[in-house]
Amino acid sequence: MEPLIGMGVLALMGVAATIAGASEDLESDVGSQSNPNSQVQLAPQMMFPHRIYNKAVSGEPPSNALMSAIGATCAVVFMDVFSLSPLFALVLGAFIAACIHGTFAITSVMGRSASQQRFKQPVYMDIIRSHTPVIMGYAFITTFCILVISYLLNVVLGHPFPLPLLAFIWGITVGAIGSSTGDVHYGAEREFQQFEFGAGLNASNSGNIVRKAESGLRNGYDNSWFCAKFGGPVTGIAFGMTVFLGNWITTVFDPVRGLGWLSVVAGALIVLILIIWNRKIEVTARKAFGPYKEDKVEEEATA
Amino acid sequence: MIVDAIIANIEWLALIVIGGVLISWSVHFVPVGGAPAAMAQATGIGTGTVQLAAGAGLTGLISAGYMMNVIDNLPLILASGAIGAMIMISVTMIVGTLVYVYGVGCVPASAKVKFDPLTGDRQDLYVSQGTEGHGLPTVCFVSGVIGGGLGGIGGSLIYYALMKVGIAATSAMTSDVVGLVAIFAVGIFFVNAVIPSYNIGGTIEGFHDPKWKKWPKAVVSSFVATIFCALVAVVAISQLGGL
Repeated sequence: MEPLIGMGVLALMGVAATIAGASEDLESDVGSQSNPNSQVQLAPQMMFPHRIYNKAVSGEPPSNALMSAIGATCAVVFMDVFSLSPLFALVLGAFIAACIHGTFAITSVMGRSASQQRFKQPVYMDIIRSHTPVIMGYAFITTFCILVISYLLNVVLGHPFPLPLLAFIWGITVGAIGSSTGDVHYGAEREFQQFEFGAGLNASNSGNIVRKAESGLRNGYDNSWFCAKFGGPVTGIAFGMTVFLGNWITTVFDPVRGLGWLSVVAGALIVLILIIWNRKIEVTARKAFGPYKEDKVEEEATA
Repeated sequence: MIVDAIIANIEWLALIVIGGVLISWSVHFVPVGGAPAAMAQATGIGTGTVQLAAGAGLTGLISAGYMMNVIDNLPLILASGAIGAMIMISVTMIVGTLVYVYGVGCVPASAKVKFDPLTGDRQDLYVSQGTEGHGLPTVCFVSGVIGGGLGGIGGSLIYYALMKVGIAATSAMTSDVVGLVAIFAVGIFFVNAVIPSYNIGGTIEGFHDPKWKKWPKAVVSSFVATIFCALVAVVAISQLGGL
C-alpha cells in the first residue's frame, strides 16, 4: 500500500478511536459502571439513598468487548449474507449491539436497585426511562467507532484477524483504558466533591457520595456533564494514542520493506518518552502540592 | 491419532506453556489498584488485574498477528507483540497520571515503600490520610511497562506456536485458521491472567510490592493449567486438516 494512503487510513482510525474512547467513558459515567460504581452500590447501605443510575453490567472491558463482538458479528452477516454495503452493515451492527446493551442496562439497574429495598433505595422509573436511551446512544457511538477501526484494520490495512475478533480485542482495550483513566475522574473526584480537593478518598468516607446536584438531586446526566470536561476527552486521547501509535510504527517502518526492527526501536523510543513524561509530571506535582505530612524524624531532630 | 498429534507438535506445545508462564509472571508487574485506586485510595491504575493485563496483552497480540502475517521471524514477532502491549499500557498510565494529578489533585505516591527504588524520592510524606497511596510513581510506571512487555511476548509466543500447528495441519494460512488460533490464544491469555489474581488480591504496586515475591506460586499453577490448555488447543487445531 502507498505510505500516504496508509497514513490517511491510520489518521481516520485514530479519530474514530478518540471518539470511541470519549463516548465509552461518558457511557460509563451516565450509567455508572466499573470500579466507581462500587461507591454508588455502597451508598444506600451507608444510609445515603440516591438518584444515580446504578447499572454496572460487568467490568467495562468485557461489557465493551461483548457489544463490539455482537456488532461486528451482525455486520459481517449483513455484508456476507445480505450483501449490504459496509457502512450500512456497520451502522446496523452497532445499533443491534446498542439495543442489547440497553437491555442489559435496564435489567441491571432494576435488579441492583430492587435488591437494596431493605436500605430504602427506591427504583426511580423516570431515571430508567430518561437515562437508558442516553446509555444506548453512547454505546452505539462506541460500538460504531470500534467497528470502523476494526473494519479499516482488517480490510484496508490487511490485518489477518477476522472482523469480530478484532472488534472483541479493541472492545477489551477501550474498556481497560476507560476503566483506568476517565473513570478515576468520576470515582475519585465527581463522586466525592464535598471533600477537600486532592485529598484522595479517606477510607472512612466510603459510600458518602455527593447526592445533591448543581440544581436539584444529582443523577447520571450531571456526572456525564462534569466528566465530559476532562475524564471523557482524556480517555479518548488515550485510546486514540494507543490505536494510532501502535499502528503508526508499522505503517511508517513497514515490515514488508524489511523495516520491522526499526518499528520495534520506534515503539521502544515512544515508551521511553512516556516514562520520562510521567517522571516530569510526578516531579511537578510533588513541587506544586508539597508533602502532606511532616517528617517525624526531622521534627524530633529539631526538638 | 491424538497422541500422534501431540508428539508431532511437542515443541510448539512447550512454547505455548512458556508463553502461559510468561503471562502469569507479567501480571505481577502491572500496578493495579482495583476499585480503591479508582477512588484515589490505593496506588496503581484504577482497574482490575485481569482487565488491564488482558487489555495490554491482547493489543500486543494484534501487533504480533499483523507482523506474523507479513514476516516469519520469531524474535521480530515477539518484539512486536511486546512493543504493542508496552505502548498500550504506557499510554494508559500516562493519561492515568494526568487524571490523578490534574483531575483529582493527588501526588503520585507509593504506600509500600518509603523511598522510590528508582528515583530515591520520599514517598510516605506524600500519601494522603486514610489512603494506601495514589497515582503512579516512576517505579510503578516502569514496572507496568515491564509487565506489559512480558505479557505481549507471552501472548505472541502462544499465537506463533498455535499458528505453526495450524499451518502444518492445513498447509495454508487461511482466515479460519487465523481466527481459531487467535481465539485459543486469547483464551489461554485470560486463563493465565486470572491465576495471578489470587496472589495479588485486588491491588499490587509492581515489583517493589511485597506481594510480588509470591509469583512462583502463580507461575507453577499457570504452568500446570497451560499444559492442559495447550493440549486441548494443539489437538483441536492440528485436526483442522481433517481426521
